[in-house]
Amino acid sequence: MASERPIYLDHHATTPVDPRVLEQMLPYFTQRFGNASSKQHAFGWRADEAVEHARQQVAQLIGARAKEIVFTSGATEANNLAIRGAVAARRAEGGHIVTATTEHKAVLDVCASLEQEGCSVTRVPVEPDGRVDVDRFTAALRPGTVLASVMTANNEIGVLQPIADLAKACRARGVWLHTDAVQAAGHVPVDVVALDVDLASISAHKIYGPKGVGALYVRRTPKVAIDPQVVGGGQERGLRAGTLNVPGIVGLGAAAALAREEMAVESVRVAVLRDRLLEGLRTGLGEITVNGSLTYRLPHNLHVSFHGVDGEALMTCLADDVAVSSGSACASGSREPSHVMTALGRRPADSWGAVRFGLGRGTTADEIDAAVACVTGHVARLRLMSPVATGARA
Amino acid sequence: MMSAAYSEAVRERCREPRRAGAWPDGDRAVGSGSAGSLDEGTWTRLQVRVGADGRIDDTRFKVFGCSAAIASASFVADALVGATLAEGAAVSSAEVADALELSDDKRAMAALATAAARSAVHDWQQRTGTRDPGPGSNGGVSS
Repeated sequence: MASERPIYLDHHATTPVDPRVLEQMLPYFTQRFGNASSKQHAFGWRADEAVEHARQQVAQLIGARAKEIVFTSGATEANNLAIRGAVAARRAEGGHIVTATTEHKAVLDVCASLEQEGCSVTRVPVEPDGRVDVDRFTAALRPGTVLASVMTANNEIGVLQPIADLAKACRARGVWLHTDAVQAAGHVPVDVVALDVDLASISAHKIYGPKGVGALYVRRTPKVAIDPQVVGGGQERGLRAGTLNVPGIVGLGAAAALAREEMAVESVRVAVLRDRLLEGLRTGLGEITVNGSLTYRLPHNLHVSFHGVDGEALMTCLADDVAVSSGSACASGSREPSHVMTALGRRPADSWGAVRFGLGRGTTADEIDAAVACVTGHVARLRLMSPVATGARA
Repeated sequence: MMSAAYSEAVRERCREPRRAGAWPDGDRAVGSGSAGSLDEGTWTRLQVRVGADGRIDDTRFKVFGCSAAIASASFVADALVGATLAEGAAVSSAEVADALELSDDKRAMAALATAAARSAVHDWQQRTGTRDPGPGSNGGVSS
């Protein structure tokens, strides 16, 4: 069966808004346009009700209470609020942060900026399978460590981190633990109580909601009192000022509710398709390298290196047929390999040949088969002109 | 850099590269040259086969690199066919970059391809004992 082209396999970058989500959002652009802070009239009341309903839906997705959810403009803001807010609140206790080398830039860059402001940061290396070793992580905690930030699932290689074990180490030392759960929440079970984390970031557009809205879970028992980073209106119990994006928040809530309902079935469905993709590529191309643990991995992620092939060139060949992502960008003849691939200890050549496939709610078996045929053909052809694959280096 | 940043000329040469491949070492009619570095992520190898009339009668290339590197190598490989050695050594990277509509941050890829071409011409000249083509020279081969 012919698939619509290009086939979208880049769901870690973003997802389409589910029509069921959009339907719930639309009235809040027009008829129900009120400001949720307008407490004096029905327009405001209705907007506020919708926001509080969404807050409940988001809380339920991650096992939190509604009052522990702070809406933001997205996960990047949530990460900034969590890290900068926690460090600011606990600065007197010390300015040491522990994170991991494979974190998203929205965490690493925040840590780097705090370093410029006098904090110290320990970046714990990951093991070759992409996982943080609990003992190495624990060893990095020290007197003066106020916060650790480790992602639930990696945005490139999809590897899941042992968050509950890291939380135990943090709890025993009075260190708050933040997790960037953007790629995991809504795709695999994330329960902030079971994980025992203090702060968790999520994003709507990774779970079939709209762009420009996210949330931060801020634990209330025991209370995690972070400092606001945006002030000027007192919204979100003083933690994030600014008129609430009501349609976006409604969309996040609706997306969270759907993800919660459908996760059990959907995660198995996409895992089967992901395995079909891997098997198809292996059958067509022989040896390919899967980057990161296959066991501890998001069900909709596959990240592979095609030896001898540049991922960016492959994407150009695939552009009309399959939308995927490669981790490297090239400029002026010299390139920086992906920091995640470098953290795994992979050679630059493996990094440049790396491609991320992100399956999604709309992905079908026919699409996977079509993508396999397409990728296999282009990789084989690119290998014919590759000096790396054929050993023709002068 | 994503695909949308490339012209159709680049995309077409990536999908259907012309003159990709390699001739075995040791052929006296063939000169080989390379530029770039695998360690830095881009390496281009170009081969020229020189006919009895002293002109380049065919070429081959291999590339490890991004779309711009592949397209540049394929473009230069095409452009060299029928050229004198002097002309082959003088292919302008700016012209290649312009023809492929490369963005500023990708123009270095065209320079790698032309450097590999120069290197291939020099290799042929060195191995055949013909003189180095200075500016304005015809490459030391009757034309």
